[in-house]
Amino acid sequence: MIRRDETGPAESSTDAADRIRDMVRQAAQLLPTQGPIEVFVFRNPLEVHEHLPFDNAVKLAREQLGGHPYWPESRYRELLSEGRITVADLQAVLQEECPAQSEQPTEPVYSRRRIREVMLTHPLSIGPDAALRWVVAETDALERFCPTTPLAVRERLLSSTSHWIAGNAKQIRESEQPFWASVRSILDRAGAPPARLRDEQWEVVVLQILWQICRRAAIQTTPAAPQSAGCPLPRDLLLQATGRDLNQLTHDLLIRFCGAFLDQGYAGWNLPGRDQGFFRCFLSLYSQSQSVPDAWLRELSRELRALLLSGDSAEQSIQHSLQVLSIAEEDQQQFLCRTLLSLSGWAGMLWQMETAAAWTVRPAPAGTLTEFLAVQLILERHAIRHLGNEHCKLHGSLQQILEALRTMTLRESASVDDRRAFRIFQTAQWLGWLPEDLHAMPPQKLHDIIAEIDSFGATERRRLFHEAYERNYREATLNALVVHTQRRKCSHPETAPRPAFQLLTCIDDREESFRRHVEEIAPQCETFGAAGFFAVAMNYRGAADSFYKPLCPAVVTPVHYVNEDVGYTFEGVHHSRARLRSRLGRVTYGFHTRSRTFLGGIAAGIVGSLATAPLVARVLFPHLTARIRSRFGTLLETPPITRLQLDRYQPDPGPGEGHIGYSINEMADIVRRLLNDIGIRSPQQFSRLFVVCGHGSSSLNNPHESSYCCGACAGKRGGPNARAFAQMANDFRVRTLLRERGLQIPEDTVFVGAYHDTCSDSVVYYDLNLLPSSHRADFEAARDAVQLACVRNAHERCRRFASAPLNISLDDALRHVESRSQDISQPRPEYDHATNALCFVGRRTWSRGMFLDRRAFLVSYDPESDDEQSNILLRILAPAVPVCAGISLAFFFSTIDNTRYGSGSKLPHNVASLLGVMEGTSSDLRTGAYQQVCELHEPMRLMFVIESRPEVMLSIMDRNQTISQLFRGNWLQLAVIDPETSEVQVFRKGRFQPFEPAATLLPQRKSSFDCYSGSREHLPFSSIDDAALSESLRQDRTDAPDTWKRTSPTTVASAANGAHRI
Amino acid sequence: MNNDLILTSAAMLVVLAPSILVAILAIPMLLGIPTSEALQGKLIRTAVMLGLAASVVILAIMLVSGSRHVMLEPGDWVHIHEEHYHFHIKFVFDRLSVPFVILSWVLCGTVGAFANVYLHREQGFRRFFLLYAIFQLGMIISALAGTIETLFFGWELVGLSSAFLIAFFHERPGPVRNGHRVWAIYRVSDAAFLLAALILHRLSGAGDFDALTGTGVWPLGVAAVDSWQATLVGLLLLLAAAGKSGMIPFSGWLPRAMEGPTPSSAVFYGALSVHLGTYLLLRSSPLLEVSQPLRIAVIILGLSSAVLGSLLSRVQTDVKNALAFASLTQVGIITVEIGLGFRYIALTHMIGHACLRTLQLLRAPSVLKDFHSIENAVGRHLSPEAAGWNSLLPASLQVWLYRFSLERGYLDGFLNELIVRPFTAIFRWCDQQEHRWSRFVDGNEFRESESLAVRGDSLEDVI
Repeated sequence: MIRRDETGPAESSTDAADRIRDMVRQAAQLLPTQGPIEVFVFRNPLEVHEHLPFDNAVKLAREQLGGHPYWPESRYRELLSEGRITVADLQAVLQEECPAQSEQPTEPVYSRRRIREVMLTHPLSIGPDAALRWVVAETDALERFCPTTPLAVRERLLSSTSHWIAGNAKQIRESEQPFWASVRSILDRAGAPPARLRDEQWEVVVLQILWQICRRAAIQTTPAAPQSAGCPLPRDLLLQATGRDLNQLTHDLLIRFCGAFLDQGYAGWNLPGRDQGFFRCFLSLYSQSQSVPDAWLRELSRELRALLLSGDSAEQSIQHSLQVLSIAEEDQQQFLCRTLLSLSGWAGMLWQMETAAAWTVRPAPAGTLTEFLAVQLILERHAIRHLGNEHCKLHGSLQQILEALRTMTLRESASVDDRRAFRIFQTAQWLGWLPEDLHAMPPQKLHDIIAEIDSFGATERRRLFHEAYERNYREATLNALVVHTQRRKCSHPETAPRPAFQLLTCIDDREESFRRHVEEIAPQCETFGAAGFFAVAMNYRGAADSFYKPLCPAVVTPVHYVNEDVGYTFEGVHHSRARLRSRLGRVTYGFHTRSRTFLGGIAAGIVGSLATAPLVARVLFPHLTARIRSRFGTLLETPPITRLQLDRYQPDPGPGEGHIGYSINEMADIVRRLLNDIGIRSPQQFSRLFVVCGHGSSSLNNPHESSYCCGACAGKRGGPNARAFAQMANDFRVRTLLRERGLQIPEDTVFVGAYHDTCSDSVVYYDLNLLPSSHRADFEAARDAVQLACVRNAHERCRRFASAPLNISLDDALRHVESRSQDISQPRPEYDHATNALCFVGRRTWSRGMFLDRRAFLVSYDPESDDEQSNILLRILAPAVPVCAGISLAFFFSTIDNTRYGSGSKLPHNVASLLGVMEGTSSDLRTGAYQQVCELHEPMRLMFVIESRPEVMLSIMDRNQTISQLFRGNWLQLAVIDPETSEVQVFRKGRFQPFEPAATLLPQRKSSFDCYSGSREHLPFSSIDDAALSESLRQDRTDAPDTWKRTSPTTVASAANGAHRI
Repeated sequence: MNNDLILTSAAMLVVLAPSILVAILAIPMLLGIPTSEALQGKLIRTAVMLGLAASVVILAIMLVSGSRHVMLEPGDWVHIHEEHYHFHIKFVFDRLSVPFVILSWVLCGTVGAFANVYLHREQGFRRFFLLYAIFQLGMIISALAGTIETLFFGWELVGLSSAFLIAFFHERPGPVRNGHRVWAIYRVSDAAFLLAALILHRLSGAGDFDALTGTGVWPLGVAAVDSWQATLVGLLLLLAAAGKSGMIPFSGWLPRAMEGPTPSSAVFYGALSVHLGTYLLLRSSPLLEVSQPLRIAVIILGLSSAVLGSLLSRVQTDVKNALAFASLTQVGIITVEIGLGFRYIALTHMIGHACLRTLQLLRAPSVLKDFHSIENAVGRHLSPEAAGWNSLLPASLQVWLYRFSLERGYLDGFLNELIVRPFTAIFRWCDQQEHRWSRFVDGNEFRESESLAVRGDSLEDVI
């Protein structure tokens, strides 16, 4: 091989290999970070750029990845006309961007502020060049004022221009200057001498003159052509020159091979030689001398055989490819990046499988991505050679072909002058720039003005629109908060009685409405929010599971193992059922695979008519089918009473016997940590019943199911965590230990674990057989309240589902959401985190009773129980900020550009290699949120409102790099609130500024139902007045818990049916 | 007498229900009148219920009365005496068509209900259901066709709607390209079909299947043509069937057809469309009795397709591809059964396979969950390591066979090189000649559009 002679001594060749590996590693940072889809974690697609300010990062990503930085301008303009963005918002944003230069009340018409303002608020032409040409040539845009031009401006333009023409009559008649000549010809065409022109004719004359001036100015100031981004890829050259895309050839093969290489056990036949690694395996498979019909692959096997013989590594092969494609050293990094990005989904999955998926059945060996790149480059070379030769009709080397292609693509780019001229013309019209002034202006000043217009390009306009869009919501939120906290302060006494029960849920935005409904139904209860793994990071194995799965945030690697134990009583039942399950499983697997084979297929086909029954039943009667299935499912389920194996009696945690579980010390730490986090530190704060409620979601036919589950449990269901926490907190040894450490849990406080299914809105409780009979009444009251809350929550959710009527009844609403989770044809079982926009960190007292429309993460935190350094706040924010940012930004970008950052429509999705989804049968792996789930989302950066002081937040930012980057880089918004004084400070441009509340009317309503009923849109904030309810409660405290039931006894009875499975 | 009246009206209903549905869906769309999703769902449900009920009534009366052959003849629509040509429309209800029609109704109805939820709020909702209704009409017409012209009409409707539905997501290039590809292959099979129809007309003066199958009722008919005529017509029909059912050498289109929304993939390529080819063979099966060579050709084609399908399905790592090739296996086996003369078995097999595959395809996205629950039940990770006969082969042969299967038997490559490339080369050459000639005549350059850049101007200015 040639490169042998050139690379010289062995040492430099390892250096070169290192360099290649480094470049691949760098390029890999740009690839999507989504791993196997069964563990779906929302992450910021631009995580790699988080060290940059947001606006720079999105622009950089546009260059690198081609994704939109913001919504298209037309979308914002729609929002402007709908009133979602107001002119006042735009003005405020402009005020912040370019503060008024003088104290004058009106800015001069040539100022940056005014120019930007009219460009944003008036209908600027934003179409493609062809549309603009049409507007200029075919419409009356050059003859009539734009409809939005103010009347005063029109009149000023008309009158002063007519005076000016009258004053310069002589020049117009005689001057040979091109400008005056053109004015002359415009007047000639006007149809009458100037003195007798009617107003409409004057309008034509004025606008034509203005257009002449603008056009000339635009041509004179043509800006330098923008620099092309680096060297053109061979692929781009080929595409421009011939219109043929080499990816069409190479991707098909690469996708098939990647699928086979990464397959986690779907195919009935494993890729032979997979254990040799990607590169070797490819070489041995494709070096076989089969007579391949595809013309572009004819030379491939020869080259691969040579590679196989020479024993070259993947790095050497990449080096060779770079050399043959003559990529200059300084362009290599970029070239490799863009090559990998052309099939980013698969490349990203290879990288994830190589670096972060040791838990999968078949992870990829180290170096796989480099080997993939080597293969991709080899294939690209063959494709270029083939397509180039075919098109250029020459049979030369790659260099010759590339040279020929380069000469073919040297075309001049289209002129942009008209577009600029029209933009200047529009701006001049709206601002009333007089032709005489423009004409008389010194050239430098004119150029400056035009440069001002040019500098306000599409991306800048979109950025400002976006700022205004976010500002609108931010102002509304903060104003509402100010009013609401004031109201709460007035209406609520300082000393609260002991709560009826306490409910701790995940911070998830979907639990906001759930908590609100529970609070409305049972005003004497108290709710909390904490990350849904409840400080119990564990590897968990259920009684019916065969493997341990981590139940904790994806960034944590749990060391503890917890097992669901059946115990002796039901051991026999458990074993026989496990055997039955295993037998059935084997039969099902056999059917799965055999029905696709030759002989098995015959049998399956002949008896296949029987499949009609499940087919028709599942599609037409999902609810009934689900009930039948669950009826039969009980025959297979684990026994009704199980126990978590939580006690460890060996020193080290591990999966072995005796190593499972936690030590008492560790349990006490966990319990204390969580209780301190949510602000509980004294015995008076506990109620008799403390419900800890994890959450998850179940749906059918949904490869993205994991994305609906608890993000704090690595995309799994958080029930076991809640159960484990309750069991720990109930343990008397733990309580003794805690008492020694200063946290006393009253004797009459009982913890109960629960699980909330956010899709079907059902709640189940754990270990009720251990509930003391003294607490039955408390539990039943709490259970009924929670059950009714589920029904109401379902009802609130239904307003967002277009297929549920707006006047749906409570019972039907619950049935509707249940059927969503049981229907195999349902692409939107629920809307996941869509519409998330806020995150409140602080005591519930100030945000309670505020209608937040399921848009807020609610984190409990009590600054009074925090130490001086605010370590608890830091401890809470350290995971909460990046997790919420990940969710918010994943939705942000998937909504802004679903093609690039999202996974497109769910309808043609196809599960590939059991790892991800493709569109159809041969596409890149698609990552991110899919289109159906984003359709309601309003892409805004999540706003944190934290009950704290500015200096505390600044110190936390100084102490935690990630938090600092996200807030200081504007990836998130931040405000702090003092609920006592209702003072809010907003973090803008790196510092806190006091927020000045505008006088707003925050509607006060009787219940959540009044807030949302009859609407499918995003709703404004309102206060829910629970004064009346709590008043009535205070009066008949004697028969306390039962009063809640009176709200709607029938609903409770019907909906509670079978809900509290143990 | 009374029975006859009921039969005729039921038969009318079976044919009219889908036709009226197409009209009701299409006309408001042409006029730009918006209709709600719920209304469209209701319309489709009504049409399917009516059609299904009428088909079941016909089946019941046929079973009770013992009549095995009901005809519906709207008559000649075009009659050209000089050319001895007439376009004759005739629908036949017999032991072959009635089960197939009922199958079509059941599957179309179920998948329609599925799609009604699945495509909720989708931009192309109306387009999808219009195409779906056209497909349904095409299926019913082809199933009931009593003359080759009628069959061709239904066959074309199925092809047209299939191609459009593959390209349903027309904002992406992939689906559109694949839709074109499938369309092109359908044209080839249509050409073979048309030729067969033409020859049949020459031979018999009419396109009725009676001319082929004698006057007997299916499957007892005896072909009224001699052996070589039967072979000629039969081979052309076989080519048509191979194209429609994705058999060798056209198997490459099966995975490409999976670009559309899941329900359309399920009902077309899992269930109904792929069986249309075998249905044609079944319909003209009396020809096989007459011609031994034709019979052998059918068996060979079927067998090789089945083997290829099972090989290909084995190496696929994504669900839809695996199911697409698994369908091919079954279609191949059904073809073999037809070749061997087991007509009832073939019919049962076809119906069973269609139902099973539809269910599997609709549930395709569940595969991940299914795998996990099976793994949990069985207690180990599922891996095909030990399974299969392929481990018995020598290593080099294994690699060879694996690559052969991964590359889908190179069928697409062969078609590209042997047919597409020469074909386009000829037309390019013709185009060049025309260009040259017109330049010579006209004297100046024209067709400016050809010299424009491939990609248009920028949508936005980037600063």
